[in-house]
Amino acid sequence: MVDEGTRKTLSSIPLLKTKAGPRDKELWTTRLKEEYQGLIKYVQNNKEADNDWFRLESDKTGTKWFGKCWYIHNLLKYEFDLEFDIPITYPTTAPELALPGLDGKTAKMYRGGKICLTDHFKPLWARNVPRFGIAHAMALGLGPWLAVEIPDLIEKGIIKYQEKSEDSK
Amino acid sequence: MGPSTDWDEIKRLAADFQKAQLSSTSQRLSERNCIEIVSKLLELKLIEVIFTSDGKEYLTPQHLIREITDELYVRGGRVNIVDLAKELSVDLNQININVTDIIKGKDVQLISGYLISNSYVEKIAREINEKLQLQGQISVDELTLQYDLPADFLQQCVLEAYLNEIIIGKQDPSEPRTFYTEEYITRTKAKIRGAVMGLLKPTQISIIIGQCIVAERLFMMLFDQLNAPGVLTGRSASALYVPSCYTKAQNEWVMSFWKQNNYLEYDALQRLGISDPKGYIKKVIQEEDITFLSSCILGSQIKQQIESALEECIASKTYLDVVSLLPSVLSDKDIEKVLEILLKNNTKSTVLFDNTVFSHHFVENLKQDCMPITQSKAEAVVKSGKFQQFYLEKHIAKAELLHTQTDHKTEKREERRRKATSGKGGGGTQGRETKTKAVKKHPRSKQVVQESDSEEDASSKKATAQLEIISLEDVVNIIKKTLENEGLEDLVHQIADYLQGTLNESALIIAKDLAAKLLQNTNQNKKQTHSSAQDKINVLINDIKLYEKGLKLFPVDQQAAFIKYLLKTFGADILGEFCKYAANQSNISVQVDVLSAEQRNKIINDLPEEYMKPLRALNATLLDTLDPFYQAVDVCLSECGMILKKVNKKEDKSLILNHREKLISELENCDDPALVLHLAVLAIFTILHQNMLHASGRQVPSIICFLKSQLKDEDYLKLHHFHELVTKFLVAPEEEKSGIEEDLKDKLPVIKNLVFEVKKYK
Repeated sequence: MVDEGTRKTLSSIPLLKTKAGPRDKELWTTRLKEEYQGLIKYVQNNKEADNDWFRLESDKTGTKWFGKCWYIHNLLKYEFDLEFDIPITYPTTAPELALPGLDGKTAKMYRGGKICLTDHFKPLWARNVPRFGIAHAMALGLGPWLAVEIPDLIEKGIIKYQEKSEDSK
Repeated sequence: MGPSTDWDEIKRLAADFQKAQLSSTSQRLSERNCIEIVSKLLELKLIEVIFTSDGKEYLTPQHLIREITDELYVRGGRVNIVDLAKELSVDLNQININVTDIIKGKDVQLISGYLISNSYVEKIAREINEKLQLQGQISVDELTLQYDLPADFLQQCVLEAYLNEIIIGKQDPSEPRTFYTEEYITRTKAKIRGAVMGLLKPTQISIIIGQCIVAERLFMMLFDQLNAPGVLTGRSASALYVPSCYTKAQNEWVMSFWKQNNYLEYDALQRLGISDPKGYIKKVIQEEDITFLSSCILGSQIKQQIESALEECIASKTYLDVVSLLPSVLSDKDIEKVLEILLKNNTKSTVLFDNTVFSHHFVENLKQDCMPITQSKAEAVVKSGKFQQFYLEKHIAKAELLHTQTDHKTEKREERRRKATSGKGGGGTQGRETKTKAVKKHPRSKQVVQESDSEEDASSKKATAQLEIISLEDVVNIIKKTLENEGLEDLVHQIADYLQGTLNESALIIAKDLAAKLLQNTNQNKKQTHSSAQDKINVLINDIKLYEKGLKLFPVDQQAAFIKYLLKTFGADILGEFCKYAANQSNISVQVDVLSAEQRNKIINDLPEEYMKPLRALNATLLDTLDPFYQAVDVCLSECGMILKKVNKKEDKSLILNHREKLISELENCDDPALVLHLAVLAIFTILHQNMLHASGRQVPSIICFLKSQLKDEDYLKLHHFHELVTKFLVAPEEEKSGIEEDLKDKLPVIKNLVFEVKKYK
């Protein structure tokens, strides 16, 4: 079950209305617009709550998304690359978020770095089609996953802090 | 909108998105960091803050003070400190510390855990005023409950501080905790006045208070200002309100009753609700001359009435029933008391019997009525000798009583007793002496009674016992009629009792006088009796001797019968004389002149030793012959101090002659044949033999036989014949008697003549 904090975050993200995938041409644009609006709101909320934890951008069509996400543990910032495609069946199928940097480092991951989401996520998503969008997937899927997996991985020494491996901005 | 525009828009949104992502994030400190920072700052004393009780917030003291004042304001000027601590989530201590700062300002005070602002005080003052105006009165206690504030605070800081400013009312001067409005007081006054005006009889204050629904204190306070037509008997709830109209009516009743009847009963006053009748009467009735009795008072009028009635009663020599003049309510005791007062001056002229006053004269008259019987009774008692006996007994008892006293006295007493018994001392003086002694001894004997033991007590009682000459019944019988005529039968016994005492007293005096006289007489008589008895006995003895001579003429065998008869008659007479004399000497009364054998014996037995013995001996000789009789007579004579005179022969002769003449004259006057025969025979005997003969009728035949030789034959035959006729007549049956009697009567003159003839030829 999602925790209280998550629920709160979730409720502050505007719900989407249009049920359309990349194939749907015109409707997709509408959908895409809604996706952006949701993301913008979510990011703004995060910033306000001093909880900014990812950067994301997409290609021209809005089907391929990439960026970075990070997690602060013991005052150290661990940063990972993030990428995912919008599936053809979207929004019925949830996007498969992947952290290629961690591929093979944890059991909670499919090949290619696709994170293994919790049992709750999928039914939750299925119930909320088409209202959930990318922002929801980030908040419900990747956020909790990072919070659970990263401290574990750091503990195990699988991932190590890299001093300014990349520009912080 | 075309697809291109859509995409443009998407591009723009993507750019926005990036812009949003790139915008700087606001820097936020974690809670932990903040706590650390603050504690660091506190450590360094750079800041001064107060933790909230949950520890999540900090407050500066200034802020706390502001919050407290705000809270106070919000809550209308009154807040509990504990509530504050809860509300502000600040530790109570912190609040307490800061409250002191707040209190420093004059606007707020801390009263029993409450912060109270002046505005609140004013507010409640207004409230109280409203309430006061509504209710009319208000008490601090009531307010204490309502506001949950200390009474002192309410009293001083609210009520008294704002009295006549906000609170329009009056403080009860006697009870500072109570406040009234003028209106309420006026209203209450009116209420009480109404109640009090309406009351006509004394009423308990508590009842009035209950009716008016007023506090007792207020009632008392207002009552004084009321000029109520009445008074309170006290200041407590149990006291009474007595309306003046009631008092007035009471007084009027009392005065009118008093004027009408001139007496007042305490009970009646008490029934009117006067608790202290005596005091009340003293106050109300100005007359000085009031008699206070146990149940009522009497006025002078009644007294005067009675007094005048009494005077009249005395003047008219009648009686007065006081009860009829006194009010009927008086108890017996009271009547007694009244009489006591009234009779103080008149005791001498009145006698009181059971509330009836008798004038002395009235009683005296009654007494006079009784005097005759008293006199006669006294005489009777003296005559019967009871009085003398009583005196003697009294005397003896007294003597016994005083026996243990000095020898001298005993001697005297014995002397006196001797005198009394011998009867030589003056009887009158002796009686008087005893009387005076008795009177003198009386108190002393009483003393003795008190001092001595019971034995002496009894004897003294006997001595003081009075002889009842006149009995109560006698008196009752006499006065009953007089009193019944007056309608006073109830008092008969009392008066009789009274009279009996005095009458008995006077009877005793009379008796004493009589006894004294009698004693004097008897003493004179005694000498006479002595000589007369001596003479009588002398005569008798002489007679006996003469008769003895006569009978000695008869043959010896016939003499015994004559002697026997002689002793039986004359001997008995002599004994009788002796007895009478001895009895007289021994103070034994003898009423009859001629004594029967039984009476003689009785007297002999009663006589003292010295007389009893010889007289008994004499009595014994009466059945004997003459010689022992003579001897016994001699003894008796010497005992009685008498002498036997010598026999004078001449006198004897004349005696015999006298006897003969007496017999003859008796014979002449006699008509009874038997007696004629008897007398004739005796007369003939006396004529023939110049001697007297004493014989009974039974001896007549033997005398006739004896006379046969001396008489002429014809005379003898006449006598014999008559004798036979007499015997025949005596034994004859009733039917034949008349015939024989005729015959005897025919022959009576013959016998009588015979005697004369015998006398002639002699």
